[in-house]
Amino acid sequence: MLLCNKNLTPLQRRSVQRMGAALLLTVVTNLSTPSLPNPFRDLIPGLSQLANSHAHSSALFVAVLSALSVLPVLLAVWVAARYLAAEPDEFIRALVVKALLWGFAVTMAGNAVAGVLMNIYSRPFPLSLLSADLFFASSLIAFRILQWSYQ
Amino acid sequence: MKNRLRMLRAERSWSQADLADKLGVSRQSINAIETGRFDPSLPLAFKLARLFHLPIESIFSD
Repeated sequence: MLLCNKNLTPLQRRSVQRMGAALLLTVVTNLSTPSLPNPFRDLIPGLSQLANSHAHSSALFVAVLSALSVLPVLLAVWVAARYLAAEPDEFIRALVVKALLWGFAVTMAGNAVAGVLMNIYSRPFPLSLLSADLFFASSLIAFRILQWSYQ
Repeated sequence: MKNRLRMLRAERSWSQADLADKLGVSRQSINAIETGRFDPSLPLAFKLARLFHLPIESIFSD
């Protein structure tokens, strides 16, 4: 794979894998979109039943359900923080921070566009999935471009 | 910030990768420092100075 080639150090490879896990967890914890595959709902029939009837659920249940979506965000922040703390090369650290900022910028822009589209068409969209995908992909691409520019 | 890293490295016939290995950083770091696109931190500047047996100010100048 172009973005995850053999030039990665073990620390970088481990961090990319953990970020991938955060991305997968985003799918799992995205309980608001019934059409998406979700092991939480599929493996726990009770949860599936409750998730499909938000309107009749208690406020506490809805709060807990929505709070689950914070898990991948916290995991991604933890992975990035651990990586930055452990990376011995200060130049690579600087590149990663720049790449994460680019990822953040693209994610914010993507969310803004998605928000406008949702308002215009009055249709919900799994924003957390969009954000996770955009952040992961754009950060990786930005890192590779920055790295390439210093070859 | 300007530096004489490329010259000092060439005097010792070291490649960028050789110098990177000695300092424990990536080759891109050396390239970025040599081309003046990245200023090293004080600890890395001290490492360089020790490696070349020179004072920091004789390697880096503004």
